[in-house]
Amino acid sequence: MRKVRGYSLLKSANKTDEALAVEIAGLKLKNPVMTASGTFGYGEEYAQYLDLNRLGGIVVKGLSLKPRLGNPPPRIMETAAGMLNAVGLQNVGVDVFLEEKLPFLRNYDIAVIANIYGESYSEYAQVAKKLSAAPGVHALEVNVSCPNVKKGGLSFGADPKAAAEVTRRVKAQTQLPVIVKLTPNVADISAIACAVEKAGADAISLINTLSGLSVDLDRREPHLKNITGGLSGPAIKPVALRMVWQAAQKVSIPVIGVGGIMTARDALEFMVAGASAVQVGTANFINPLATVEMIEGMRQYIKHHKLKNITEIVGTLKT
Amino acid sequence: MTIMNKEIFIGSVSANDEIRTGYLLMTLRLPRSFSDPQPGQFVMIRIAGLQDPFLSRPLSIFAFSRGRSHCLVRLLYRVAGKGTQILAGLIPGSQVEISGPLGKGYTVDPARENRVLIAGGIGVAPLSLMARHLCRSESRGENPAVVYLGAKTADEVVGLDFLRQYCSSIRVCTDDGSLGEKSLVTRAFQKDLKKYDPARTAIYACGPKPMLQALAGMLKGRYFCQVSLEERMACGVGACMGCAVAVRDEKGDKAYRRVCADGPVFDLKDVIWE
Repeated sequence: MRKVRGYSLLKSANKTDEALAVEIAGLKLKNPVMTASGTFGYGEEYAQYLDLNRLGGIVVKGLSLKPRLGNPPPRIMETAAGMLNAVGLQNVGVDVFLEEKLPFLRNYDIAVIANIYGESYSEYAQVAKKLSAAPGVHALEVNVSCPNVKKGGLSFGADPKAAAEVTRRVKAQTQLPVIVKLTPNVADISAIACAVEKAGADAISLINTLSGLSVDLDRREPHLKNITGGLSGPAIKPVALRMVWQAAQKVSIPVIGVGGIMTARDALEFMVAGASAVQVGTANFINPLATVEMIEGMRQYIKHHKLKNITEIVGTLKT
Repeated sequence: MTIMNKEIFIGSVSANDEIRTGYLLMTLRLPRSFSDPQPGQFVMIRIAGLQDPFLSRPLSIFAFSRGRSHCLVRLLYRVAGKGTQILAGLIPGSQVEISGPLGKGYTVDPARENRVLIAGGIGVAPLSLMARHLCRSESRGENPAVVYLGAKTADEVVGLDFLRQYCSSIRVCTDDGSLGEKSLVTRAFQKDLKKYDPARTAIYACGPKPMLQALAGMLKGRYFCQVSLEERMACGVGACMGCAVAVRDEKGDKAYRRVCADGPVFDLKDVIWE
């Protein structure tokens, strides 16, 4: 009896597993839930809390050509329903990643997406080239949007021409799918989305953090040493949803929704607004199991709504 | 492959008493699967579902005991902002989410038989667990630990009763002289410094940054001294890189380390005071 029940449970789990599978620009994901860059390190820390094999994918902490020291503290400040950060892209650099961090991720059967960052077009290209030669990297996500580093980041992502040029340079160095991660700190998100699509991007992810400021009234000083930081968490979800919805109407490449996703409901809202997959960031900080709980919630949603595949809801927002 | 050995625990508040104005002692009942903490380790504590305050709060483990059916974790904390204010309002029976024990704690070198603990204000919290840990070694015939405990005023001297159970030699200092000596705790320690042989002394400290910086100034790297640092944290497990502290790395270059995962306990001589 128990065996039979076990079997049927397994069978139904397999069925919903298939129903959760998505494909983004040729990249096969077990489910639409990825971890957002900079919120999950290189997977090691959270592997102590959850089986990484259950995730759709991991987007690793942004990689630059050389290791980066990062910004002086204080780097973070809590805000209402969110937080500001100005970490300054502290990272081990692409070479150390390949030697010391990537072998760990190869132990897992998941999509590994390397988030990359450069201070010049040529740096973007060099980092992309190094990663593309490495087995175990399945896609690149290009950060054109980090608002924290004074010389780079913002200027690339806020200008359609510069964003397109970065995309072209990276595409020229790699056979891997290239996802361009967009900054919300622009007047017209659709213009940037269209520019990078035209330049060859295979997908876009949005949004990165919103530029913000937190003030210490007693000292009349900013809470962050960097003065401004990037806002993340549930506070930015409506902005992210709006931008995903706008961009998804203008491009034909897949859109990955990011911004304040805490629960399965949040993730599904993004899909309805036009996202083919999602990334979970700040939620990991307050609940290391946020992603796996979300995947379970999606499974229940599929069952409840008798969906063949979760992609059926993508872009179904009635307006 | 990493072993999955960490989990989020649901803790039940069994006591949460204001032991001094603005200072509380919370006792949490946790499942037995909660590991024995090293002194200096901490927990991330959060009220489930709350979005303002949003992040978990890192609190040092003040005391720990293991029963047959559960563990008891005690957290001594100061009300410093919105998060701790809400924690202070929890009544017995309330539930909290707990992750821990986290971080790297203090280490004991048996060769260094003079143990000195220097606590400033709420910095007494991790050192109380350390005092208890050292006193177990004391029962094996080792030297008793000496504690220097400082606070602004008598009203802010916390943890003294607890320390007295374990340590015979406690020097209390207050800035205004309302309890013990009228002195900064570091100055009281400095007067005794020549009594301690650098080769045979281990110093463990926790307190406000100016206190630790003063300590660094007087020890000049000649003593083994471990300090527990505090920084705002988001994840508590080493992923967000929010809780950076500047240190000298193995090559002597400046690097940022994570208070949550590389610390909170650091060698004092490695810390760069910015």
